[in-house]
Amino acid sequence: MFRIFFRKQHQVYSLVEKYLEALQKTQEYFSLAMEVCLADDRARSDFGFLTDETHRFESQADDVREEIKTLMYSKVLLPESREDIMRLLDGMDKIPRDMEIILNMIKTQKISIPDFLAQEIRDLIKASLEAVDLMRVQVQDLFRRKGRIKELVAVIDRKESQCDRIERSLVNAIFDSGLDGFLKLQLKELVIFLGDISDHVDVMSKQINIINLKRHV
Amino acid sequence: MGWALGANNASNVIGPAVTSRMLRFGPAAFMASLFVLIGAMLQGRSGIDTLSSLTEMTLHQAVLVSVSAAITMTLMTIWRLPVSTSQAVVGAILGVGVLNRHVDTATLSKVVTCWVGTPIGGALMAMVLYRVLAALHNRFQPNLLESDSLVRIGLAAAGAYGAFALGANNVANVTAVFVRAGHLSVSAATLIGGLSIGLGILTFSKGVMETVGSRLVRLDPFSALVVLLATGFTIHFYTFIGVPISTSHAVIGAVLGIGLHKGIRTVSSRTLVSILSGWIFTPFVAGALVLALVKLLGES
Repeated sequence: MFRIFFRKQHQVYSLVEKYLEALQKTQEYFSLAMEVCLADDRARSDFGFLTDETHRFESQADDVREEIKTLMYSKVLLPESREDIMRLLDGMDKIPRDMEIILNMIKTQKISIPDFLAQEIRDLIKASLEAVDLMRVQVQDLFRRKGRIKELVAVIDRKESQCDRIERSLVNAIFDSGLDGFLKLQLKELVIFLGDISDHVDVMSKQINIINLKRHV
Repeated sequence: MGWALGANNASNVIGPAVTSRMLRFGPAAFMASLFVLIGAMLQGRSGIDTLSSLTEMTLHQAVLVSVSAAITMTLMTIWRLPVSTSQAVVGAILGVGVLNRHVDTATLSKVVTCWVGTPIGGALMAMVLYRVLAALHNRFQPNLLESDSLVRIGLAAAGAYGAFALGANNVANVTAVFVRAGHLSVSAATLIGGLSIGLGILTFSKGVMETVGSRLVRLDPFSALVVLLATGFTIHFYTFIGVPISTSHAVIGAVLGIGLHKGIRTVSSRTLVSILSGWIFTPFVAGALVLALVKLLGES
């Protein structure tokens, strides 16, 4: 019965779910694209398609975010709730954007990742995407009555620390190697962008926790 | 008088429901007007009885009391001093009482005690309500949207209740003097008073509502809800006692109570000093004005 009175609020929730689905799809195609990139050259023909699909879902996520913002502008929630959700969406948006930037960087700069870095880069991507998965759970819990938000902050924090360690190890490995100076700089920038994913997730995780705590009076 | 009272005071009870977008102005104003009228007609008698018993007066004097109170409110607004309708009306009635050499001091003491008690009552009510409602809210553990819905429904409901209490408590300020002068029955007084306050809400309260409402909602939304409920309960409490009070003072008391509960300063000393000065200046200016008008226009 209450759905009649709070139709727009339910719309907000549905759109947030749609955004998270688009984010998940962006993650999946990003992961596939990076795997193709790290694998044999024969597989590189798929790379363009997977990059395009990542971009498509990143754009879709952007469109859903704009739709939520437009709904918010009709002042469907209290000002404080509106601000919290807008800030949440703007912060989360950095994650699919970073993924798109990374793939475009590899594509346009024609970066070839040396074999001795491949495994650690795989580990960095895996840990980063696991952190993103946990952040999506936190966002869903914000709109449901589940109490996992606080415990997930610590888990995501550990994931972020793990990613920081891998990032430092990779940068050391790059500059300890005999690679060309320019390639070293390219690879360093790529690793930093990969590390940024978990950094953004960690910031968002803490922000989600604060939004949740504000509802406890 | 009723129109001005409605235009100014509705914001204290229904403003946050409008600025939180739970209700649009039109439906909110209509709801507030309806509940003001219902409150006035169902429970407005006690305030009318109290103000009517302060002194005797003729119809001519009753009209001068109303005019003096209205001019006082206008002057205090121009001088940017806080003004309470109740204090302006009582001050003007006392002016007539001085003229007639008859003031019921027992009733006057009761009225002044209630004025002092209004912000204190608002503060205490807010502190108690905050504890109780916070405990219930946290036990329920609502998510973001549920919490938002609860507060918005609460703001609308508290607004309706506050409007009812406003009508019940403040209708006496508008028509009690005419009951005392013998030209209105209590029933007619509550109807006319309620209608005039409602008209003020419908026609001229929008600007004040958005200003006051947004200021209150800048408190976190839950605190704003507690302030509204505490204000409504405070006004209603003094309705049962039979004394018209200032809704603004009740709101300020409630905001102060929230601050005391949280250990933060929510009301400036300047605001508190302005309330104190209002207690002294408003009745004095209204009383002096009615005496001046009687001197100018004669006693009948």
